Formats: sequence, structure tokens, C-alpha cells
Amino acid sequence: MDRNQITKWLKAPAKMANKYSLHAIYFCTGCGIIEVPPVITARWDAERFGVIPVATPRQANLFLITGYVSIKTLRAIIRTYEQMPEPKYTVGFGSCPINGGMYWDSYNTIKHLDKYIPIDGWIAGCMPRPEAIFIAVTHLWTLIDKEMANGYIRYRENYKSYRRNQELALGKLEWPPLYPVSDESRGNKQ
Amino acid sequence: MSLEILLIIAFGGAPLTYLFGKTSEKIRDFLAVVISLSLVAFVACLYGKSMEKTFYLGFFGLGLVLRLNVLSWFFAITISVVGTLSIIFSLSYIKGREKTDFYFLMMLLVNAAMLGIVLAGDLVSFYIFWEIMSWSAFLLISYNKGPALAAGMKYIVMSIIGSVCFLVGMLSLYVSFDTLNISQIASVIGSASSGYILFILTAFGIAFGIKNAVLPFHTWLPDAHSEAPAPFSAVLSGTLIKMGTYGFLLLLYVIVGLKLFLGLGRGLLSFHSILCFLGAVTILIPTFIAMLQTDAKRLLAWSTVGQAGYIILGIAFGTNLALAGGIFHFFNHAMFKALLFFAVGAVEFRTQTRDLDSLGGLAKKMPVVFIGTLVGICALIGVPLTSGFVSKWLIYKTLILEGSPFLAFFALAGTWGTILYSYKLIHNVFLGQLPEKYKDIQKSPFTMQLPMIVLSLAILVFGILPGIPLKVINAIGTSFGFESLNITLWGITSETGTLNTINIFSAVLVAAVLSWLLFRLGAKSVSVSQEDSYAAGAYTPTDKYHYTAEFYNPLYRMTKPFLRDVIDGFYYWIASSVRSLAGSVRRIYSGDVGYYVMYIILFLTVLIFVQMRWKIW
Amino acid sequence: MVVKITQIILSPILALVVGVFFLGLARKIMARIHWRYGPPLIQPVIDMIRLFYQKSVSHGSMFDLGLILSLAGSIVVVLFLPFGGIAPLSGSGGLLVILYIMLLAPLGMALSGGQGANPNISIGISRKLILGLGYEVPLLLVLLAVMTRYKTISIMEVVIAQQSTGWSFISFPLFLSGLSYFLILPAILGLRPFDVSSAPQEISSGPMAEYGGKYLALATIEHAFVLFISIALFVNLFLGGAANPAIFFVKMLVVFVLGLCINAVFPRFRIEQAVKYLWKWPTLLAFLGLIITLAVRS
Repeated sequence: MDRNQITKWLKAPAKMANKYSLHAIYFCTGCGIIEVPPVITARWDAERFGVIPVATPRQANLFLITGYVSIKTLRAIIRTYEQMPEPKYTVGFGSCPINGGMYWDSYNTIKHLDKYIPIDGWIAGCMPRPEAIFIAVTHLWTLIDKEMANGYIRYRENYKSYRRNQELALGKLEWPPLYPVSDESRGNKQ
Repeated sequence: MSLEILLIIAFGGAPLTYLFGKTSEKIRDFLAVVISLSLVAFVACLYGKSMEKTFYLGFFGLGLVLRLNVLSWFFAITISVVGTLSIIFSLSYIKGREKTDFYFLMMLLVNAAMLGIVLAGDLVSFYIFWEIMSWSAFLLISYNKGPALAAGMKYIVMSIIGSVCFLVGMLSLYVSFDTLNISQIASVIGSASSGYILFILTAFGIAFGIKNAVLPFHTWLPDAHSEAPAPFSAVLSGTLIKMGTYGFLLLLYVIVGLKLFLGLGRGLLSFHSILCFLGAVTILIPTFIAMLQTDAKRLLAWSTVGQAGYIILGIAFGTNLALAGGIFHFFNHAMFKALLFFAVGAVEFRTQTRDLDSLGGLAKKMPVVFIGTLVGICALIGVPLTSGFVSKWLIYKTLILEGSPFLAFFALAGTWGTILYSYKLIHNVFLGQLPEKYKDIQKSPFTMQLPMIVLSLAILVFGILPGIPLKVINAIGTSFGFESLNITLWGITSETGTLNTINIFSAVLVAAVLSWLLFRLGAKSVSVSQEDSYAAGAYTPTDKYHYTAEFYNPLYRMTKPFLRDVIDGFYYWIASSVRSLAGSVRRIYSGDVGYYVMYIILFLTVLIFVQMRWKIW
Repeated sequence: MVVKITQIILSPILALVVGVFFLGLARKIMARIHWRYGPPLIQPVIDMIRLFYQKSVSHGSMFDLGLILSLAGSIVVVLFLPFGGIAPLSGSGGLLVILYIMLLAPLGMALSGGQGANPNISIGISRKLILGLGYEVPLLLVLLAVMTRYKTISIMEVVIAQQSTGWSFISFPLFLSGLSYFLILPAILGLRPFDVSSAPQEISSGPMAEYGGKYLALATIEHAFVLFISIALFVNLFLGGAANPAIFFVKMLVVFVLGLCINAVFPRFRIEQAVKYLWKWPTLLAFLGLIITLAVRS
């Protein structure tokens, strides 16, 4: 952990600040959320690393997708992800977002979450232990250092295909596109 | 340049407008505005003069006198300006309703009567103009049919009770001193006994207290002000109530004089402390009631009762700072209450409702009205840089330094209550989510925006440069015999701590610039629509995502047992007792001639018996 | 003149440093009370740097301007508060001006949040204002007792008077007022049990629900200033102020740590429980203090 190295702070303050102040949106996505309370309380103290849960996506920059993703939850996950300010990082936690996991042939779950929102890192397991969340965080630090944690940039550049996947899975979406999807400028101001 | 011409223009213009209105609407509108503006110009030209002129001799041997001094001038300019702005506002507001000629006639008549009151030099002309004002106000309050009729009835009954008390006091003064000229009474009243002075103070005090809505007499105000048409509510709250203030000023400072007034009674039981206490209670309780209202105009009406308490407290307290604060607060209150009533009227004009539970999000649709409300609310609370701050600061300072911390506590706690209800007003009408049915409303018309812009500018200018009105108010204070305050353009300097608005203004400006620079330091923000708000993962449901109903519900639940309207209930009990008493008296008239014959025979019997026994005749 | 300008520039910067330090200290001490390690003391600074680099959303111009107004109000109040020997603008009206400008901060935040079009924000603001009404009643009684006792409305004079007569907190007529002020201090600071207006679990952090990026950073700076102002006012009026900033800082530290210990063990009151508490014992104590002060004065 290079939080004490002042020269690195002076050279790239954005990177260092993004690394050591990862506020996670406290959204209990699936069954894996049971591993998170021990992480943020006294047993495995995540606040040492700067990771605390916050109440709304507007204040967050880390999204932990813990567990399986049903169709209903996918709506909420996409909405929450779009409301987070950039730069933002997502970590898929558990086997279900990777390839469906235990629910590989269910009619109601999403098998590959990467088609709908961009994921920066995966942690396999069913469920991984709480220490795996720390592994995810340190792995994310390495990615941020190497500037490979650019899920949000991928989302912005390939928004058309992401939106098409979302519409295929969920039907008509009530919210307008986050970035313009065609030549006429529709949706929110950029 | 004489006062009779002023009153002739004012009183003559009203029926003239009515007659022209029968022919053409445009001429009537134009004439109404021209008359009001000419009155403003006339009064402005009279600045600095003082005169006293008997204009009619031979009213039962009394002369009717018109008089102008600094106090009258200050009130006259406020009345004429607020009246003019109301008439400009009414041009669009009243369009399309029935009986608009009558409306303009009454508006001009009310303004003329109020000008007459402040220019009156003797009690008879005061009374005549007072009655004209009360009656024309009654007719105008009942202009919208429906609940306005009951509200108007309540108003006129209480006003008549006040007028009767006034008449009693006036007649007793005539019997004691043989004159009704105000300056002559002022010179001879020192010879009266203190019991008599107390009686005069009580009689006139009830009359002016009812008009000024001091606490036990305030119950007519919420109904009357919320049911009147919006421009007239502005005039009612802004200037008509303050005729009671003018009356108190005349009574306490001109007629009775400060030394006599403070010398009455002893300790806590004197008229002075009772009046201060009533003023303080009038600040606190209506402010709490205002927080819990759901009708925008009723909220503003209760707020008027509360602010009138500040004025009475300032006037009754008796030091020159308190007097200056009270009179300046009258001026400020006229401005910002008129502004707020105009704003609520503009919203009502476009959305046809004033229910706070169903409006919302109109800030982007009606930006001028929103900014006007914002300035009005900041002035109401007393945010520094608005004129409300200066007047409230003066009142607080003198209350604290003269050693009445309990009165100061009432005044200061009233301010926080003011913040609560002002925020409720602006949040439920302008902030929050825009309901679907108001998505297509247009902005308010220009004749409605103009008075709001003028008043907002005036509030800001007088907040930054309070010396301009304070100079006039200081002259009023010295005319009552106080020593003069050191007024500079930016505030007041005195040994007990200065008020320097330029310091505060520059500090806030610099701090705002610094914060803005800090704000720009961050990454640029994206502008989103109101539907893109946090809704726990769902897309925000339209029309269901606005928290307006029961805005202060926890407070309401806590204070509901203590806030039953006992005073109003008391008055209704008196009214129903009188009605039942009259009902039982009515049974004497049974319509049967036999009963009448029996009454006559019985009465003759009693008379004969009395004559035979006690031989009276 | 030069001294005054340096004081004017130095005062908000020192207040910000102290406030941010208190924010970090709060998290560290809470963590240690919970038997864990906690973040480093400069964690709020790291958070703020990160927040300034994030792109946020804005709901309109009132959203921005309200926040700027609230921050401006807090900076101006700091200028009027003596901090040890540093007291730039303490001549102009003193305590009354502070009472007035102190209400610019919640008002600005209320106006800004109102445009967020989110009922969580509206509920948070209505709770904040009701709580303000709750603590304002005893606070006014306490401040009036102080003003009556020392016959002044300038804080600097209160500080100087205490240097000869001892701390107000332990002096005869004002100890009740001091006790009452200490009892309502958690409400003014927004610590538990009175943090009902920004309850993260219930109303998703109340007025800050739509604040992201630089808005949240400014709101955090605003919170730091509010911490500084509230504790500095208490230290100035009741603990004797100080002749130099270092001793002042030590006194503030002691008060803040005591408040944090209360914060660590209490749950959150509901809003009507909070207001009922604030209007019961602290108001009674403050009222008695005011009566005794009035009686002693004559």
C-alpha cells in the first residue's frame, strides 16, 4: 500500500485519491451481501483502506455485485450504475455474475453480467470469504495504477451495444439513454 | 401643493375610474394606474414639508384638520407605493372576472381612505376615513363569493367593535377636553389623571389592536387575508393592518406621550409591559400555527399576524432603537409581504390553486416569481443583506441591551419559526418535482412580474444601504422627542456596538466568490432532469415522488394538543350566546294581538302600582 | 491594517484545517472505540481530493448556488468568531450577527436540496429544520443568559471578562446555562443521538442524497466549518476562550472528544423524541439559568 508516498501523490493525485477512497454503494444485490457486513465492521476492518459504504449511488465510486442477478435486479443495477458519477469501478463478486454460477440454466437470472454493465474485476467463489473483498480491492488498486480499470470508458464508448443488450433482456426501458445512441442527440446532455 | 388636492385626486379618481370603466376597459386600466402613480409622485414631492390646515369648519363647531409631518409622510409614501403596485398587478389578475369596475373602484377607495387616515389632523376626520377604509375593505374581501362572504362578515364585525371603542374614546376625549384636534389634545392631556389615561389607552388600544391583529383580536385575519383576491391581500397585509400601527404611534407617542405612557402602572402590571407581552406572544404563537398550514395564503396571513407582533413589540418598548426598529419593520413588512402575496397570486393565476400539498417544482416554469419569492423569504427571515435584517437587528439589540431577555427570546425564537414556514412555502410551491398537470403552464404576464421585480430590488437596495430609510425614521424619532441616532449610509454607529452592513455585505460577497472558485475547482457537472433522481434503483415515478403533504408532520403531532384555537372558539361562543339570547327575546313578539294587549295591561298595572306606592311622578 | 488582513485570510484557513482534522479524528476515535483500526487521520482529505475529480450531476442553478451560499455563510461566521487571539471582525455586532449568519448555512443547503426533486432530501431538510427549532429554544435562553450576565453582545468582551472572573462554565449564575449548552451540543453538531437529519439508513443521507463529486466535497467542507463554529462558540462563551490558538485548540479537542464518546454509544432518536428531549430538560435548565442570572443582576 503506497498511501504514504508523498511523491506519488504529487505526481498523480487523481489516481492515488481514487485508489484510497473507494466508497461502495450499499446495495445488497444478491446472496453474497452476507459477506460484506463482517468486512465493514470490527472483524475485518475495511475502513483502514478507505472503503466505507455510502447510501446513494451519487456519492459512490465502487459497485460490488455480490451474488446472482435476476432480471428485476438487473434493472436496479443498471439504473444504479448509471447514476454513479465517473470514474466508477465495478467488481463482480461470486460465480453467478461471471457465468451464471449455480443458476446456469435458470430462466430468471442473467448469465453474463458483462454484457449489460462493464465489470472491472471478477472474484470467483460461491461465496468467496470476506478476505476476498480485500483481494478485490487491492487488485483494483493495481488496475487503477496501470490505468486498466476503465470500465466506465468502455461503457461510454460502446453504449449502443450495451443498451441494445439491456433492451433485449428487459424489454422497453423507461429511462432515456445515458449517452446519445444515434446521430440525433437524444437523452441527457453530455 | 396642498393636502386637499391630494385627497381630492385620490377620492375623486375612484368614481371617475368606475364611470370610465363602464365605457372602455383600457381607459379604466390606464386611468387607475395614472391616478395611483400621480399620488406617489405627489407624496414624494411633499417630502420634508410639514403643514397643518383646517379645511372645514363647522362640523358641530369643530374644525376638520389635515396635517402632514414626517410620520404621516412615511406612512403615506408606503401606502401609495404598495397601492400602485397592487393596481398594476391587478391589471392582469382581475381580467376576465365579473364586476371589475367595482373592484378598481374599491381598490382606489381603500388607498384614498388610508391616505386620508395618515393625513388626518383631528379625530373626527380620522374616524371618517377609518370607517371608509373598513367598509371598502369589507366589500373587497367579499369579492370572491363563497367562503369569502363569511370571512368578510367576521372582519367587519370585529372592525365595527373596534370602531365603537374608538368612538367611545373619542367622545370621552371631547367631553373632557372640548376639542378633538390631535395636537391640542397632546398639549392638554398631561393634566388628566392616570386612571383616565388608562381608560383612553384601553379604548383606543382595543380599536387599533383589532385592526393590527394583536393576539386576542387576531382571529379575523387568517380568513380575511386568504379569501381576498391576491392583490388586495397584499394591500391588506401590507398597509391596512399598519393603520393600526399608525394609530398606536399616534396614541402612544403623539397624544399621550412617552413619559406618561411609561409612568402608568407599576412593574409587571403596567400597560407598557402588558402591551409588550401581547406583542411578544403575537410573535410566537401565530408563527407556530403558520408552520402547519396547507393553504399558501393562509400561511402568509398567519405570518402577517406574527410580523405585526414584532412591530407592536418595537413600538411599545419605548427606546429610540426599538421605535426605529418597529417603524422600519413596518416598512419592510409592507414590501416583502406584498411581494409574497403577489407571488402566490401569480401562481394561483396560472395554476388555479393555492393548496400547498399539490403544487411543486414551479421554479423553472416561473423563474421571476421564484426569485421574487426567494428574495421575499430572505427578507422575511432577516437574512443579512436584505432590509429585514436591519429592522430585526435593531429590535433585538435594544431588547437585549435594555435587559428584557424574555422578550428577546420570543423575538429570536420567532425567527427560527419564520425560517420553517418560509421554507415550507418556497419548497412546496417552487422546489421539488413538477406535477404532470402543470407541465405546460406559461410564465406570468409582465404586469404581474413588474411589481415583484420592483419590490425585490427595493428590498435588496434598502438592505445594503439602510441609511436611506433610516434617515427618515430617525427624523420621526426625533419628532417624538428621542435623541437622534447616528445614521450613516451603511448603518448605525453607537457606543453599544455598530451595525455596519458594508462589512457584512463585503464579507459575504468575498466568501461567496471564494466558495464559487472552490466550486469551479472540481470537475464539471452534468445537468440532469428531475426524473433522474435517486429512487433506489427504480426510475422515479412521476407525480408520486414529491414530499409535500404533512411537511412538518412530526411537529404537528407533537404540538396538536396545545394548538386548539381557543380564542376563535371564545368569539364564536359569544356570538352564539348573543344569538340565543336574541332568539329568546324574539319570542316576545308572538304575533298574537291578545298577547300584546296583555303586555300593555300588565305594564300599565305595574306603572300604577309604582306610582301609588312610591309616588315618583 | 496588515495584521487585520492576515487575520482575515488566516482565520477561515485555520478553521478549515481544524474542522477537517476533527472529521478525521472522529472516524479514527469511533473506530478505536469499536475495537478496530480505522482510517488514517487525513482520510477526509483523500476523500475530498477524490470527490473533486469526480464528475457529478446538477439539478439546476439553484442546486449549485444554494450550496455556495451555505458555504459562504459558514466562512463569514468564522470571521466573526475569535479563535484564540485571532478575531478579525469581532467588532461589528458580535453575537447577534453570528446568530443570523449561522442560519444561512441550513437555509442554503435547504434551497439547494429542494431542487433535487427527491423526497429523501425533502424529508431530511424538514427534519433538519425541526431539529433546529428544537435546539434553538434552549440555545437562545443560554445565549441570552450569557449576554445578560456580561451585559454585552460582543464575544470578544465575553472572553476578556472571563479572563478575570474565571470560566463561565463553573461560575455561579451561568453553570446551569453551561450544563444546558453541553446537553444540546450534540444536536448542534449533528452527532448521535441527534443525527436524524442525515440518517444514511433511513432517508439515504437526507439532504446529501443527490450530492456527488464536488457537491459532496463542498458539503463535507461545510460540515467541517459547522463543527468548528459550534465548538468554538461553546469554548469562547463558557470555557474562557484562550489567549493563543494552541490552548484554544486543546479546549476544543477535549469538548469534541467528549461529544464523540456520546456519539459512539447512543442510537439515533426519532425526530419527535429528539425535540421532546430538547424542549424538556435543557430548556428547563436554561430557563432556570436565565432567571437566576436576572435575579443576581439586580
